[in-house]
Amino acid sequence: MPKLLVDNKEIEVKEGTTLLQACLDNGIYIPNLCYLESMDDPSASCRMCFVEIEGEEKPITSCTVTVKDDMVVKTDTLSVRRLHRTAFRLLLSVHHVDCKNCHVNKKCELQRIAKYLEVGLKPKHLEQHLKEPDIDQDHPFLDYYPNRCVLCGKCIHICRKKHGQSVLTFAKRGFDTVISSYGKNDVSSLACEKCVVCVDICPVGALILKEAQE
Amino acid sequence: MSPADNEKLDQVFSAIREEAEKRRKAFREAPVPKIHIGMATCGIASGALETKKAFEETLAERNIEALIHPVGCIGHCYAEPVVIIDHPDSGFPPIFYHEVTAGKAKMLVKLFLEEGDPRFEHILGATVENDLIPSVMEFSRFNQEKRVVMEKCGYIDPEDIYDYIAEGGYSMLVKVLQLTPDKIIKEVRNSGLRGRGGAGFPTGKKWELAMHAEGQIKIVICNADEGDPGAYMDRTILESNPHQVLEGMAICAYAVGANKAVVYIRAEYPLAVKIVTKAIQQAKELGLLGKGILSSTFDLEIDVFRGSGAFVCGEETALIRSIEGYRGMPRHRPPYPVEKGLWGHPTVINNVKTLASVPPILENGATWFRGIGTENSPGTAIFSVVGNVVHAGLVEIPMGVTLRTLIFDICGGILNKKKFRAVQIGGPSGGCLPADLLDTPIDFDSLTEAGAMMGSGGMVVMDEDTCMVDVARYFLDFTQKESCGKCTFCRIGTHHLLRILERLTKGEGQDKDLEQLESLSEDIKTGSLCGLGKTAPNPALTSLKYFRDEYEAHVKEKRCPALMCRSLIAYYFDLDLCARGCDACATCCPVEAVFTTSNRKKGVDQELCVKCGECMVACPPEYDAVRKVSPSNLVPVVERAPEKK
Amino acid sequence: MNQELTTEEQAALKNIAAKLSTFERQRGNLIPVLQMIQEEIAYLPPETLKMVAEHLGIFECEVYGVATFYNQFRFRPPGKHPIKVCLGTACHVRAGDIILENFERKLEISEGETTPDREFSIERVACVGCCAMAPVAIIGETVHGQMAPSKVEGLLMRIEIEKEMEEREKQKNESGR
Repeated sequence: MPKLLVDNKEIEVKEGTTLLQACLDNGIYIPNLCYLESMDDPSASCRMCFVEIEGEEKPITSCTVTVKDDMVVKTDTLSVRRLHRTAFRLLLSVHHVDCKNCHVNKKCELQRIAKYLEVGLKPKHLEQHLKEPDIDQDHPFLDYYPNRCVLCGKCIHICRKKHGQSVLTFAKRGFDTVISSYGKNDVSSLACEKCVVCVDICPVGALILKEAQE
Repeated sequence: MSPADNEKLDQVFSAIREEAEKRRKAFREAPVPKIHIGMATCGIASGALETKKAFEETLAERNIEALIHPVGCIGHCYAEPVVIIDHPDSGFPPIFYHEVTAGKAKMLVKLFLEEGDPRFEHILGATVENDLIPSVMEFSRFNQEKRVVMEKCGYIDPEDIYDYIAEGGYSMLVKVLQLTPDKIIKEVRNSGLRGRGGAGFPTGKKWELAMHAEGQIKIVICNADEGDPGAYMDRTILESNPHQVLEGMAICAYAVGANKAVVYIRAEYPLAVKIVTKAIQQAKELGLLGKGILSSTFDLEIDVFRGSGAFVCGEETALIRSIEGYRGMPRHRPPYPVEKGLWGHPTVINNVKTLASVPPILENGATWFRGIGTENSPGTAIFSVVGNVVHAGLVEIPMGVTLRTLIFDICGGILNKKKFRAVQIGGPSGGCLPADLLDTPIDFDSLTEAGAMMGSGGMVVMDEDTCMVDVARYFLDFTQKESCGKCTFCRIGTHHLLRILERLTKGEGQDKDLEQLESLSEDIKTGSLCGLGKTAPNPALTSLKYFRDEYEAHVKEKRCPALMCRSLIAYYFDLDLCARGCDACATCCPVEAVFTTSNRKKGVDQELCVKCGECMVACPPEYDAVRKVSPSNLVPVVERAPEKK
Repeated sequence: MNQELTTEEQAALKNIAAKLSTFERQRGNLIPVLQMIQEEIAYLPPETLKMVAEHLGIFECEVYGVATFYNQFRFRPPGKHPIKVCLGTACHVRAGDIILENFERKLEISEGETTPDREFSIERVACVGCCAMAPVAIIGETVHGQMAPSKVEGLLMRIEIEKEMEEREKQKNESGR
């Protein structure tokens, strides 16, 4: 079993574990939004879980690194923190911060990260850019809030994992990317109203059962 | 393969080669004039189809026999449509004609083909040295080029495989089929060839990795998803000499042990798709592709895959996703495609120019190739030099030539005697270099050091009327639209960069904007997932580095020094110069912003003006009365515009 | 997005269904299939996304997710004369955006839209590779180089005149019968 040194703490983990998972399992928190242990190929899209590894020139996302024996890792250097904070502020700049009206208030991953990084939820440095409309009600049972969503893709992953195929997808591109549930027939085949794995996995409350809101 | 097999291989191919030579001989020795017309996309866009039709019709009308030979592009876009007329009976050598419109074509048939007068005023030059007409080789646009990849472009018919074979084409494939893969790879390695897609990874090394990669099935992909705005080298090569690329692919496939290959071509290149598809078909018919190539045991199927319009698909992992039928979003590397690529199989992805370099390298040897260019960047570079430059087009030069030589000597300098401002290299991933870096040699490392990058070879020359802030804004607008949206830094970060730059060009910038532009750019560079995001801030960073004063003028004075940012400029008429009664500007104004003053001169209604500059173009040069100023409040108010009803 | 299909389009759908069956049921065929449909009918009506999903055995949302990713795919019918204005670097430096604006102003639609009579649509495209002729606009299949704002009006007028002539010709033929 590989032994590694993270922030001067020695940890021992199973071979083949990702560095992020190894840290999380050993009580070392690294901010992350898009990672799930069940993903074979982590998407590394949220760009939050940067760490510094001795011998590597630049900070690297810990979800894409497999642990090696004698790895020396730092999770809180200046350059790592700077990336954490910038990525987080960028995400907040497109997030409609309205915690007290949000059903995941106090359970939200963004609140947790804000506290951890000591960054205020209201962005000071960047202008806010929100999408129109604020809510997508196309899905028969779910409402989707694009201005809460961080596009981590966990909902798509978990739906596919459970049902073989996902009724959710990324749609459009670039800044306009959203989660979409296009195609009514497929949705009805899965009985979404009874499943809600996607709602449960969402780290930021971007998906919610319609009836839960009433 | 055994010696007997080799002999058979040679036999099969020499039959094909003989046929090709027979055809070429028949064409060359036909006792009639030959008219070679450049028919690639830029030629067609300039009217080559009409030119060809005019030749055909006039020849028929006047009952003159001549052979029309459609060829690809020779790269001299400024002179399109380009025609070479070989009229031996006239006593003249083959002649290059430039800008041959349909009218000129008719005239040339009558005066040159019929009456023997070559019409010197339309001649670019003779194709060979002679005593009658200056040869094109006397111009630096021709003689400073070194054609390796594009040697045959513009001289052969891309839709006729025999044309290529007669020029020695496919003989390198025949040669390598008799060698062991490691010999081929060694030769490519020794040549020092680096990937021409932009990053400059050693090609031989990539092939070697793929050869050793584990897997029964291996794949070769030719990346022709040329997306940089302002770059069209790959398209021209595919449209002008597709077989050289196919031959390069076949050699690569044989070397790494692949039996399947894909040419990934951008959707915006329909002609290239057509020509490559046809080329594959022709090669298959002759047994140069497909099952048991030239009776050997080597099989190779090449398919064409059309991209669907996503710049990010030029990134290799995104390209793979898109062939697999998914959203073209890049994934984290490693694993690299040479280990795990298309459908999970080891995959070599090479750029068009890289693959097209392979047959000449094998033909002339690694040492020859190393003799061209520089120590670390051997060979040639192909640039599409466009923008405010006199002789725009494709130029193939040895690596190491300086930017100054390329722009001022080879390409004739800046249009309309304007001053040079900057040269943008490497497209949205590259940067703008100023005049004092013009002596930078063109090679992978020097350009990167200067803050630009080789990129795939787009070069846009900008004159003094180009605003560097606006150029940065333009590129960020591009990358922002083309970002796949997967990762945070690129998706949201480039959006903010663009917004800041937009504010600057509108005169709404603040002091802290420049600082934020810099720091955010740095973070996007380190934080982004793929090459698109990592390089997206380069246009902003380099222009900020080299043209900071321009940025500051936009912020502090609300002034655009190049008089380009439309929110910061205003047009007016110099009434001392404006001619009474002249209406040239008023008739061309698309928004009726030009009004007649009480003394029958002109004024601009600033409320209506959209600042398109048409009046400036329309104003007759003898008056030259239209002026631009920045900031816009400097515009003198002579008379108010009449109230519109 | 839900527009009534014209009779021509309905015929095209039948054609598409026939062609669809020639494609193997493989995920890798998704993009070629969408390209085929767009070649037949010039855009991707919702009906076609459903057909593709059924044929390839994947969810409609997968098809939608892929189709919305790529610039090439349209979800609205383009005009009879689609106008593409190139905004590649060379065109930008030579004021391609002013050309785009002129088309927008003359046709009273924005980029990405189609005129109500479905005659014209405007798109911006990123470099068509004719940089030496910048600025460039493409109407239908024809590339027009060295564009100028004043040329915009001329080109549109030419199309109008051609259309009128065609109609007159048609009338003549009909009355001649």
